[in-house]
Amino acid sequence: MKEALVILRDINAGYHSEAVLSDVNLEVYPDDFMGIIGPNGGGKTTLVKVILGLLPPFSGSVSFPRGKPAIGYLPQVSQIDKSFPITVKDLVNSGLKSRNNWFPQLTAGQRKQLHQMLDEAGLSAIASRPIGDLSGGQLQKALLCRALINRPGLLILDEPDTHVDKAFEQELYSWLRELNQEMAILLVSHDIGTISPLVKTIACVNGQLHYHPSNQLSEEVLKVYNCPVDLIAHGPIPHRVLKSHDHA
Amino acid sequence: MRDLLLVFEYQFFQNAVMAAILTSIIAAMVGTYVVSRKIVFIAGGVTHASFGGIGMAYFFGINPFLGAAVFAVLSSTGIEWISGRGKVREDSAIAILWSLGMALGIIFVFMTPGYTPNLLSFLFGNILSVGRSELYLLGAFCLVTIAVFAVFFRPILYTAFDPEFAKVMGIRVAFFRYLMSVVIALAIVFSIRSLGIILVLSIFTLPQITAMLFTRNFAFIMPLASLWGITGSLSGLLASYIMDIPAAASIIFFLTLQFLLIRLIVTLRMLMLRKLSQKPVKG
Repeated sequence: MKEALVILRDINAGYHSEAVLSDVNLEVYPDDFMGIIGPNGGGKTTLVKVILGLLPPFSGSVSFPRGKPAIGYLPQVSQIDKSFPITVKDLVNSGLKSRNNWFPQLTAGQRKQLHQMLDEAGLSAIASRPIGDLSGGQLQKALLCRALINRPGLLILDEPDTHVDKAFEQELYSWLRELNQEMAILLVSHDIGTISPLVKTIACVNGQLHYHPSNQLSEEVLKVYNCPVDLIAHGPIPHRVLKSHDHA
Repeated sequence: MRDLLLVFEYQFFQNAVMAAILTSIIAAMVGTYVVSRKIVFIAGGVTHASFGGIGMAYFFGINPFLGAAVFAVLSSTGIEWISGRGKVREDSAIAILWSLGMALGIIFVFMTPGYTPNLLSFLFGNILSVGRSELYLLGAFCLVTIAVFAVFFRPILYTAFDPEFAKVMGIRVAFFRYLMSVVIALAIVFSIRSLGIILVLSIFTLPQITAMLFTRNFAFIMPLASLWGITGSLSGLLASYIMDIPAAASIIFFLTLQFLLIRLIVTLRMLMLRKLSQKPVKG
Protein backbone atom coordinates (compact mmCIF):
# COMPACT_ATOMS: atom_id res chain seq x y z
CA MET A 1 0.00 0.00 0.00
CA LYS A 2 1.55 3.29 -1.06
CA GLU A 3 1.55 6.19 1.34
CA ALA A 4 -0.28 9.41 0.55
CA LEU A 5 1.53 12.70 -0.01
CA VAL A 6 -1.28 14.86 1.33
CA ILE A 7 -4.37 13.90 3.30
CA LEU A 8 -7.29 16.28 3.81
CA ARG A 9 -9.76 15.22 6.49
CA ASP A 10 -13.22 16.80 7.03
CA ILE A 11 -12.11 20.22 5.85
CA ASN A 12 -14.47 23.14 6.34
CA ALA A 13 -12.99 26.34 4.97
CA GLY A 14 -13.91 29.75 3.61
CA TYR A 15 -13.53 33.47 4.15
CA HIS A 16 -14.85 35.66 6.99
CA SER A 17 -16.73 32.77 8.58
CA GLU A 18 -18.58 32.11 5.33
CA ALA A 19 -17.97 28.49 4.36
CA VAL A 20 -16.97 27.75 0.78
CA LEU A 21 -15.90 24.15 1.31
CA SER A 22 -17.66 21.72 3.60
CA ASP A 23 -16.62 18.24 4.73
CA VAL A 24 -13.93 17.83 2.11
CA ASN A 25 -11.83 14.67 2.18
CA LEU A 26 -9.02 14.06 -0.27
CA GLU A 27 -5.86 12.03 -0.60
CA VAL A 28 -3.11 12.87 -3.04
CA TYR A 29 -0.54 10.22 -3.98
CA PRO A 30 2.98 10.79 -5.33
CA ASP A 31 2.16 9.76 -8.91
CA ASP A 32 -1.24 11.46 -9.09
CA PHE A 33 -2.28 13.75 -11.91
CA MET A 34 -5.56 15.07 -10.65
CA GLY A 35 -7.86 17.46 -12.43
CA ILE A 36 -9.79 19.70 -10.06
CA ILE A 37 -12.90 20.94 -11.80
CA GLY A 38 -16.03 22.77 -10.78
CA PRO A 39 -18.01 25.94 -11.41
CA ASN A 40 -16.69 29.40 -10.60
CA GLY A 41 -17.09 30.12 -6.90
CA GLY A 42 -17.30 26.39 -6.20
CA GLY A 43 -14.16 26.45 -4.08
CA LYS A 44 -11.40 25.20 -6.38
CA THR A 45 -9.01 27.97 -5.45
CA THR A 46 -10.05 27.77 -1.79
CA LEU A 47 -9.11 24.07 -1.82
CA VAL A 48 -5.70 24.94 -3.29
CA LYS A 49 -5.13 27.59 -0.63
CA VAL A 50 -5.94 25.13 2.14
CA ILE A 51 -3.44 22.60 0.75
CA LEU A 52 -0.79 25.34 0.39
CA GLY A 53 -1.33 26.43 3.98
CA LEU A 54 -2.37 29.93 2.89
CA LEU A 55 -5.84 29.56 4.34
CA PRO A 56 -6.25 27.86 7.71
CA PRO A 57 -9.44 25.77 7.60
CA PHE A 58 -12.28 26.39 10.10
CA SER A 59 -12.10 22.72 11.01
CA GLY A 60 -10.52 19.52 9.75
CA SER A 61 -6.89 18.68 9.13
CA VAL A 62 -4.29 18.76 6.40
CA SER A 63 -1.49 16.27 6.94
CA PHE A 64 1.60 15.16 5.07
CA PRO A 65 2.35 11.52 6.04
CA ARG A 66 5.70 11.52 4.22
CA GLY A 67 6.73 14.87 5.68
CA LYS A 68 5.90 18.17 4.08
CA PRO A 69 7.04 18.05 0.45
CA ALA A 70 8.33 21.02 -1.50
CA ILE A 71 5.26 22.41 -3.21
CA GLY A 72 5.39 24.20 -6.54
CA TYR A 73 2.55 26.65 -7.02
CA LEU A 74 1.33 28.40 -10.14
CA PRO A 75 -1.32 30.96 -9.21
CA GLN A 76 -3.95 32.27 -11.60
CA VAL A 77 -2.24 34.66 -13.97
CA SER A 78 -4.80 37.34 -13.11
CA GLN A 79 -3.16 37.52 -9.68
CA ILE A 80 0.11 38.62 -11.24
CA ASP A 81 0.82 42.33 -11.65
CA LYS A 82 2.44 42.42 -15.09
CA SER A 83 3.50 46.04 -14.69
CA PHE A 84 5.64 45.25 -11.63
CA PRO A 85 9.31 45.96 -12.44
CA ILE A 86 10.70 42.46 -12.01
CA THR A 87 12.79 40.49 -14.50
CA VAL A 88 12.18 36.90 -15.61
CA LYS A 89 15.38 35.92 -13.80
CA ASP A 90 14.24 37.40 -10.47
CA LEU A 91 10.74 36.01 -10.91
CA VAL A 92 12.03 32.45 -11.40
CA ASN A 93 14.56 32.88 -8.60
CA SER A 94 11.78 33.74 -6.17
CA GLY A 95 10.77 30.07 -6.32
CA LEU A 96 14.10 28.95 -4.88
CA LYS A 97 13.68 27.83 -1.34
CA SER A 98 16.92 28.66 0.31
CA ARG A 99 17.71 30.05 3.68
CA ASN A 100 20.08 32.67 2.35
CA ASN A 101 18.05 33.76 -0.65
CA TRP A 102 18.24 37.32 0.66
CA PHE A 103 21.01 39.39 -0.84
CA PRO A 104 20.89 40.85 -4.36
CA GLN A 105 23.88 38.68 -5.33
CA LEU A 106 23.09 35.02 -6.00
CA THR A 107 25.39 32.20 -4.91
CA ALA A 108 27.09 30.05 -7.55
CA GLY A 109 24.78 27.15 -6.75
CA GLN A 110 21.67 29.31 -7.07
CA ARG A 111 22.85 30.72 -10.39
CA LYS A 112 23.46 27.21 -11.73
CA GLN A 113 19.98 26.07 -10.71
CA LEU A 114 18.47 29.19 -12.24
CA HIS A 115 20.24 28.72 -15.58
CA GLN A 116 19.32 25.04 -15.74
CA MET A 117 15.67 25.90 -15.18
CA LEU A 118 15.64 28.70 -17.75
CA ASP A 119 17.40 26.45 -20.28
CA GLU A 120 14.90 23.66 -19.75
CA ALA A 121 12.03 26.05 -20.45
CA GLY A 122 13.80 27.83 -23.29
CA LEU A 123 13.65 31.17 -21.54
CA SER A 124 17.39 31.90 -21.33
CA ALA A 125 17.25 34.48 -24.12
CA ILE A 126 14.70 36.59 -22.29
CA ALA A 127 16.02 36.08 -18.76
CA SER A 128 16.83 39.74 -18.20
CA ARG A 129 13.60 41.10 -19.68
CA PRO A 130 10.94 42.60 -17.41
CA ILE A 131 7.80 40.45 -17.22
CA GLY A 132 5.76 43.28 -18.73
CA ASP A 133 7.44 42.53 -22.09
CA LEU A 134 6.37 38.87 -22.20
CA SER A 135 3.57 37.23 -24.16
CA GLY A 136 0.89 35.33 -22.27
CA GLY A 137 2.59 32.00 -22.97
CA GLN A 138 6.05 33.26 -22.00
CA LEU A 139 4.74 34.66 -18.72
CA GLN A 140 2.94 31.40 -17.95
CA LYS A 141 6.18 29.52 -18.69
CA ALA A 142 8.20 31.82 -16.43
CA LEU A 143 5.65 31.34 -13.65
CA LEU A 144 5.85 27.59 -14.15
CA CYS A 145 9.65 27.80 -13.89
CA ARG A 146 9.22 29.65 -10.60
CA ALA A 147 7.05 26.76 -9.38
CA LEU A 148 9.48 24.09 -10.64
CA ILE A 149 12.93 25.45 -9.80
CA ASN A 150 12.71 23.95 -6.33
CA ARG A 151 12.08 20.45 -7.81
CA PRO A 152 8.81 20.06 -5.89
CA GLY A 153 7.16 16.76 -4.95
CA LEU A 154 3.76 18.31 -5.53
CA LEU A 155 2.89 20.77 -8.27
CA ILE A 156 -0.33 22.78 -8.01
CA LEU A 157 -1.51 24.68 -11.09
CA ASP A 158 -4.44 27.09 -10.92
CA GLU A 159 -5.93 27.59 -14.40
CA PRO A 160 -2.62 27.40 -16.30
CA ASP A 161 -4.33 27.49 -19.70
CA THR A 162 -5.92 30.95 -19.55
CA HIS A 163 -4.59 33.74 -21.79
CA VAL A 164 -2.35 31.40 -23.78
CA ASP A 165 -2.54 30.23 -27.39
CA LYS A 166 -3.25 26.67 -28.54
CA ALA A 167 0.37 25.99 -29.49
CA PHE A 168 1.56 26.87 -26.03
CA GLU A 169 -1.23 24.81 -24.49
CA GLN A 170 0.03 21.69 -26.30
CA GLU A 171 3.61 22.41 -25.24
CA LEU A 172 2.45 22.91 -21.66
CA TYR A 173 0.54 19.62 -21.61
CA SER A 174 3.40 17.55 -22.94
CA TRP A 175 5.72 19.19 -20.42
CA LEU A 176 3.28 18.36 -17.61
CA ARG A 177 3.09 14.71 -18.70
CA GLU A 178 6.85 14.54 -18.44
CA LEU A 179 6.88 16.25 -15.04
CA ASN A 180 4.29 13.80 -13.73
CA GLN A 181 7.03 11.11 -13.84
CA GLU A 182 8.71 12.96 -10.97
CA MET A 183 5.92 14.68 -9.08
CA ALA A 184 2.24 14.67 -8.20
CA ILE A 185 0.25 17.28 -10.10
CA LEU A 186 -3.02 18.98 -9.17
CA LEU A 187 -4.45 20.88 -12.12
CA VAL A 188 -7.31 23.29 -11.45
CA SER A 189 -9.47 24.11 -14.42
CA HIS A 190 -12.99 25.16 -15.25
CA ASP A 191 -12.43 23.60 -18.64
CA ILE A 192 -12.89 19.87 -18.22
CA GLY A 193 -12.89 19.28 -21.99
CA THR A 194 -9.27 20.25 -22.48
CA ILE A 195 -7.81 18.67 -19.36
CA SER A 196 -9.74 15.41 -19.47
CA PRO A 197 -7.35 13.50 -21.76
CA LEU A 198 -4.41 14.73 -19.70
CA VAL A 199 -5.33 13.87 -16.13
CA LYS A 200 -5.61 10.46 -14.48
CA THR A 201 -8.28 11.27 -11.93
CA ILE A 202 -10.80 14.04 -11.35
CA ALA A 203 -12.08 15.86 -8.29
CA CYS A 204 -15.32 17.82 -8.68
CA VAL A 205 -15.47 20.75 -6.29
CA ASN A 206 -18.74 22.54 -5.73
CA GLY A 207 -18.90 23.31 -2.03
CA GLN A 208 -18.28 19.62 -1.49
CA LEU A 209 -15.70 17.44 -3.17
CA HIS A 210 -16.43 14.33 -5.18
CA TYR A 211 -13.47 12.22 -6.15
CA HIS A 212 -13.67 10.33 -9.41
CA PRO A 213 -10.91 7.75 -9.90
CA SER A 214 -10.82 8.06 -13.70
CA ASN A 215 -10.61 10.79 -16.31
CA GLN A 216 -13.85 9.73 -17.99
CA LEU A 217 -16.82 11.85 -17.04
CA SER A 218 -20.30 12.03 -18.47
CA GLU A 219 -22.93 14.68 -17.99
CA GLU A 220 -24.96 12.27 -15.87
CA VAL A 221 -22.09 11.74 -13.47
CA LEU A 222 -21.51 15.46 -13.18
CA LYS A 223 -25.17 15.87 -12.36
CA VAL A 224 -24.97 13.26 -9.65
CA TYR A 225 -21.90 15.05 -8.28
CA ASN A 226 -23.80 18.34 -8.36
CA CYS A 227 -20.94 19.71 -10.39
CA PRO A 228 -22.46 21.87 -13.11
CA VAL A 229 -19.55 22.10 -15.53
CA ASP A 230 -20.52 22.93 -19.06
CA LEU A 231 -19.44 20.00 -21.22
CA ILE A 232 -21.12 21.27 -24.38
CA ALA A 233 -18.87 24.30 -24.49
CA HIS A 234 -15.89 22.27 -25.59
CA GLY A 235 -16.00 21.88 -29.31
CA PRO A 236 -18.63 20.35 -31.55
CA ILE A 237 -18.17 16.79 -30.30
CA PRO A 238 -17.60 17.07 -26.57
CA HIS A 239 -18.08 13.36 -25.93
CA ARG A 240 -15.11 12.52 -28.07
CA VAL A 241 -12.99 12.67 -24.94
CA LEU A 242 -15.81 12.18 -22.46
CA LYS A 243 -16.88 8.62 -23.04
CA SER A 244 -19.25 7.05 -20.58
CA HIS A 245 -17.46 4.77 -18.20
CA ASP A 246 -17.95 1.93 -15.80
CA HIS A 247 -17.65 3.85 -12.54
CA ALA A 248 -21.07 5.43 -12.62
CA MET B 1 29.04 82.91 -12.38
CA ARG B 2 31.36 83.77 -9.47
CA ASP B 3 28.32 84.80 -7.46
CA LEU B 4 26.82 81.44 -8.19
CA LEU B 5 29.85 79.54 -6.93
CA LEU B 6 30.08 81.80 -3.90
CA VAL B 7 26.87 80.38 -2.51
CA PHE B 8 28.56 77.02 -2.02
CA GLU B 9 30.84 78.65 0.55
CA TYR B 10 27.93 79.28 2.87
CA GLN B 11 27.46 76.64 5.54
CA PHE B 12 23.67 76.72 5.21
CA PHE B 13 23.88 76.02 1.49
CA GLN B 14 26.37 73.20 1.93
CA ASN B 15 23.99 71.68 4.46
CA ALA B 16 21.09 72.09 2.05
CA VAL B 17 23.05 70.34 -0.71
CA MET B 18 23.87 67.44 1.61
CA ALA B 19 20.25 67.24 2.79
CA ALA B 20 19.05 67.18 -0.84
CA ILE B 21 21.46 64.37 -1.73
CA LEU B 22 20.64 62.25 1.34
CA THR B 23 16.89 62.79 0.99
CA SER B 24 17.11 61.86 -2.70
CA ILE B 25 18.88 58.58 -1.92
CA ILE B 26 16.42 57.63 0.86
CA ALA B 27 13.37 58.55 -1.22
CA ALA B 28 14.77 56.80 -4.30
CA MET B 29 15.00 53.44 -2.56
CA VAL B 30 11.78 53.66 -0.56
CA GLY B 31 9.95 55.26 -3.49
CA THR B 32 10.92 52.39 -5.80
CA TYR B 33 9.15 50.02 -3.42
CA VAL B 34 6.16 52.38 -3.13
CA VAL B 35 5.78 52.94 -6.88
CA SER B 36 6.30 49.25 -7.73
CA ARG B 37 3.65 48.16 -5.25
CA LYS B 38 1.36 50.99 -6.43
CA ILE B 39 0.86 52.28 -2.90
CA VAL B 40 1.59 55.96 -3.57
CA PHE B 41 -1.82 56.74 -2.11
CA ILE B 42 -0.82 55.05 1.16
CA ALA B 43 2.34 57.15 1.28
CA GLY B 44 0.15 60.24 0.78
CA GLY B 45 -2.11 59.19 3.65
CA VAL B 46 0.84 58.58 5.97
CA THR B 47 2.40 61.93 5.03
CA HIS B 48 -0.71 63.90 5.90
CA ALA B 49 -1.55 61.82 8.97
CA SER B 50 1.83 62.84 10.39
CA PHE B 51 0.62 66.45 10.61
CA GLY B 52 -1.60 65.32 13.48
CA GLY B 53 1.55 64.32 15.35
CA ILE B 54 3.19 67.66 14.60
CA GLY B 55 0.19 69.56 15.99
CA MET B 56 0.04 67.39 19.08
CA ALA B 57 3.77 67.80 19.69
CA TYR B 58 3.40 71.58 19.56
CA PHE B 59 0.59 71.42 22.08
CA PHE B 60 2.53 69.26 24.52
CA GLY B 61 5.78 71.09 23.89
CA ILE B 62 7.83 68.19 22.51
CA ASN B 63 9.89 67.89 19.30
CA PRO B 64 7.45 68.11 16.36
CA PHE B 65 9.40 65.55 14.33
CA LEU B 66 9.08 63.02 17.12
CA GLY B 67 5.30 63.56 17.02
CA ALA B 68 5.29 63.25 13.23
CA ALA B 69 7.34 60.03 13.39
CA VAL B 70 4.98 58.42 15.93
CA PHE B 71 1.89 59.34 13.91
CA ALA B 72 3.45 58.26 10.62
CA VAL B 73 4.58 54.87 11.93
CA LEU B 74 1.24 54.20 13.63
CA SER B 75 -0.80 55.13 10.54
CA SER B 76 1.50 53.23 8.17
CA THR B 77 1.45 50.02 10.18
CA GLY B 78 -2.27 50.57 10.82
CA ILE B 79 -2.99 50.64 7.09
CA GLU B 80 -0.91 47.48 6.64
CA TRP B 81 -2.95 45.81 9.39
CA ILE B 82 -6.27 46.87 7.87
CA SER B 83 -5.30 45.73 4.36
CA GLY B 84 -4.15 42.39 5.77
CA ARG B 85 -7.60 41.75 7.24
CA GLY B 86 -9.48 42.82 4.14
CA LYS B 87 -12.66 43.80 5.97
CA VAL B 88 -12.50 47.58 5.48
CA ARG B 89 -12.11 49.26 2.11
CA GLU B 90 -8.46 50.19 2.16
CA ASP B 91 -8.77 53.33 0.06
CA SER B 92 -11.52 54.72 2.28
CA ALA B 93 -9.47 53.99 5.40
CA ILE B 94 -6.53 55.88 3.90
CA ALA B 95 -8.70 58.87 2.99
CA ILE B 96 -10.04 59.03 6.56
CA LEU B 97 -6.52 58.83 8.00
CA TRP B 98 -5.36 61.48 5.53
CA SER B 99 -7.92 64.11 6.52
CA LEU B 100 -8.16 63.12 10.19
CA GLY B 101 -4.41 63.68 10.56
CA MET B 102 -4.66 67.13 9.03
CA ALA B 103 -7.72 67.96 11.16
CA LEU B 104 -6.01 66.90 14.39
CA GLY B 105 -2.94 68.92 13.44
CA ILE B 106 -5.00 72.06 12.80
CA ILE B 107 -6.99 71.65 16.04
CA PHE B 108 -3.89 71.19 18.20
CA VAL B 109 -1.98 74.02 16.55
CA PHE B 110 -5.03 76.25 17.09
CA MET B 111 -5.22 75.24 20.77
CA THR B 112 -1.52 75.87 21.35
CA PRO B 113 -1.20 79.25 23.05
CA GLY B 114 0.92 81.92 21.41
CA TYR B 115 2.82 81.80 18.14
CA THR B 116 3.69 78.39 16.63
CA PRO B 117 7.07 78.82 15.01
CA ASN B 118 8.00 76.94 11.84
CA LEU B 119 4.48 75.74 11.18
CA LEU B 120 4.73 76.74 7.53
CA SER B 121 8.08 74.99 7.19
CA PHE B 122 6.38 71.70 8.05
CA LEU B 123 3.86 72.23 5.30
CA PHE B 124 6.26 73.51 2.65
CA GLY B 125 9.62 72.31 3.96
CA ASN B 126 12.71 74.31 4.79
CA ILE B 127 15.80 72.71 3.35
CA LEU B 128 17.88 75.88 3.85
CA SER B 129 17.64 75.64 7.64
CA VAL B 130 18.80 72.03 8.03
CA GLY B 131 21.44 71.96 10.73
CA ARG B 132 24.54 69.83 11.30
CA SER B 133 22.96 67.49 13.84
CA GLU B 134 19.94 66.95 11.59
CA LEU B 135 22.29 66.05 8.74
CA TYR B 136 23.96 63.40 10.88
CA LEU B 137 20.55 61.96 11.69
CA LEU B 138 19.55 62.02 8.03
CA GLY B 139 22.84 60.35 7.09
CA ALA B 140 22.36 57.66 9.71
CA PHE B 141 18.84 56.90 8.47
CA CYS B 142 20.14 56.81 4.89
CA LEU B 143 22.64 54.14 5.94
CA VAL B 144 19.91 52.17 7.71
CA THR B 145 17.72 52.27 4.59
CA ILE B 146 20.59 51.12 2.37
CA ALA B 147 21.35 48.32 4.83
CA VAL B 148 17.71 47.15 4.94
CA PHE B 149 17.51 46.99 1.14
CA ALA B 150 20.94 45.39 0.77
CA VAL B 151 20.40 42.65 3.34
CA PHE B 152 16.72 41.90 2.67
CA PHE B 153 16.65 42.73 -1.03
CA ARG B 154 15.10 39.48 -2.21
CA PRO B 155 12.45 38.95 0.47
CA ILE B 156 11.40 42.61 0.09
CA LEU B 157 11.15 42.26 -3.70
CA TYR B 158 9.32 38.93 -3.56
CA THR B 159 6.79 39.95 -0.89
CA ALA B 160 6.09 43.17 -2.79
CA PHE B 161 5.55 41.32 -6.08
CA ASP B 162 3.53 38.28 -5.01
CA PRO B 163 2.97 38.04 -1.23
CA GLU B 164 0.94 34.85 -1.49
CA PHE B 165 3.65 32.98 -3.36
CA ALA B 166 6.29 34.38 -1.00
CA LYS B 167 4.29 32.95 1.89
CA VAL B 168 4.18 29.53 0.22
CA MET B 169 7.97 29.75 -0.09
CA GLY B 170 8.26 30.25 3.65
CA ILE B 171 9.17 33.95 3.60
CA ARG B 172 7.86 35.76 6.67
CA VAL B 173 5.64 38.03 4.63
CA ALA B 174 3.97 39.84 7.54
CA PHE B 175 7.36 40.72 9.05
CA PHE B 176 8.68 42.23 5.83
CA ARG B 177 5.44 44.08 5.13
CA TYR B 178 5.52 45.70 8.57
CA LEU B 179 9.25 46.36 8.34
CA MET B 180 8.69 48.20 5.06
CA SER B 181 5.73 50.15 6.39
CA VAL B 182 7.94 51.43 9.24
CA VAL B 183 10.74 52.29 6.80
CA ILE B 184 8.27 54.13 4.53
CA ALA B 185 6.85 56.11 7.47
CA LEU B 186 10.30 57.18 8.72
CA ALA B 187 11.53 58.00 5.22
CA ILE B 188 8.53 60.30 4.76
CA VAL B 189 9.11 62.06 8.09
CA PHE B 190 12.82 62.57 7.32
CA SER B 191 11.94 64.01 3.91
CA ILE B 192 9.26 66.34 5.32
CA ARG B 193 12.06 68.33 7.00
CA SER B 194 13.38 69.36 3.58
CA LEU B 195 10.35 69.29 1.32
CA GLY B 196 7.28 69.70 3.52
CA ILE B 197 4.10 67.68 3.85
CA ILE B 198 2.43 69.10 0.77
CA LEU B 199 5.37 68.56 -1.59
CA VAL B 200 7.14 65.49 -0.25
CA LEU B 201 5.24 62.86 -2.24
CA SER B 202 6.85 63.91 -5.50
CA ILE B 203 10.38 62.88 -4.50
CA PHE B 204 8.99 59.39 -3.82
CA THR B 205 7.51 59.14 -7.32
CA LEU B 206 9.08 61.48 -9.92
CA PRO B 207 12.68 60.14 -9.86
CA GLN B 208 11.28 56.59 -9.95
CA ILE B 209 9.07 57.06 -12.99
CA THR B 210 11.94 58.91 -14.66
CA ALA B 211 14.20 55.90 -13.96
CA MET B 212 11.50 53.55 -15.24
CA LEU B 213 11.82 55.20 -18.66
CA PHE B 214 15.18 53.40 -18.85
CA THR B 215 14.76 50.18 -16.89
CA ARG B 216 12.06 48.00 -15.42
CA ASN B 217 14.38 46.04 -13.20
CA PHE B 218 13.69 46.78 -9.51
CA ALA B 219 17.38 46.56 -8.58
CA PHE B 220 18.40 49.10 -11.26
CA ILE B 221 15.56 51.55 -10.62
CA MET B 222 16.86 52.38 -7.13
CA PRO B 223 20.32 53.74 -8.08
CA LEU B 224 18.98 55.42 -11.20
CA ALA B 225 16.18 57.10 -9.23
CA SER B 226 18.82 58.30 -6.72
CA LEU B 227 20.70 59.92 -9.58
CA TRP B 228 17.59 61.62 -11.01
CA GLY B 229 16.56 62.69 -7.53
CA ILE B 230 19.94 64.29 -6.91
CA THR B 231 20.17 66.07 -10.28
CA GLY B 232 16.59 67.33 -10.02
CA SER B 233 16.83 68.54 -6.43
CA LEU B 234 20.25 70.19 -6.85
CA SER B 235 19.11 72.09 -9.96
CA GLY B 236 15.98 73.09 -8.07
CA LEU B 237 18.06 74.25 -5.12
CA LEU B 238 20.37 76.30 -7.32
CA ALA B 239 17.47 77.83 -9.23
CA SER B 240 15.78 78.76 -5.96
CA TYR B 241 18.90 80.72 -5.00
CA ILE B 242 19.28 82.43 -8.36
CA MET B 243 15.62 83.37 -8.74
CA ASP B 244 14.95 83.82 -5.03
CA ILE B 245 12.01 81.41 -4.90
CA PRO B 246 11.12 78.81 -2.19
CA ALA B 247 13.53 75.88 -2.40
CA ALA B 248 11.15 72.94 -1.96
CA ALA B 249 8.72 74.18 -4.60
CA SER B 250 11.62 74.83 -6.95
CA ILE B 251 12.95 71.31 -6.40
CA ILE B 252 9.57 69.75 -7.21
CA PHE B 253 9.29 71.93 -10.30
CA PHE B 254 12.71 70.79 -11.54
CA LEU B 255 12.01 67.12 -10.79
CA THR B 256 8.89 67.40 -12.95
CA LEU B 257 10.64 69.38 -15.68
CA GLN B 258 13.43 66.80 -15.73
CA PHE B 259 10.92 63.96 -16.09
CA LEU B 260 9.07 65.68 -18.94
CA LEU B 261 12.29 66.53 -20.80
CA ILE B 262 13.71 63.02 -20.51
CA ARG B 263 10.38 61.55 -21.47
CA LEU B 264 10.36 63.76 -24.56
CA ILE B 265 13.91 62.75 -25.50
CA VAL B 266 13.15 59.04 -25.01
CA THR B 267 9.99 59.30 -27.13
CA LEU B 268 11.76 61.23 -29.91
CA ARG B 269 14.60 58.70 -29.92
CA MET B 270 12.13 55.86 -30.21
CA LEU B 271 10.34 57.56 -33.10
CA MET B 272 13.65 58.15 -34.88
CA LEU B 273 14.77 54.55 -34.42
CA ARG B 274 11.45 53.35 -35.78
CA LYS B 275 11.77 55.61 -38.79
CA LEU B 276 15.32 54.41 -39.44
CA SER B 277 14.31 50.78 -39.26
CA GLN B 278 11.47 51.42 -41.69
CA LYS B 279 13.80 52.89 -44.34
CA PRO B 280 14.51 50.39 -47.10
CA VAL B 281 18.13 49.33 -47.14
CA LYS B 282 19.87 50.33 -50.38
CA GLY B 283 22.86 48.82 -52.13
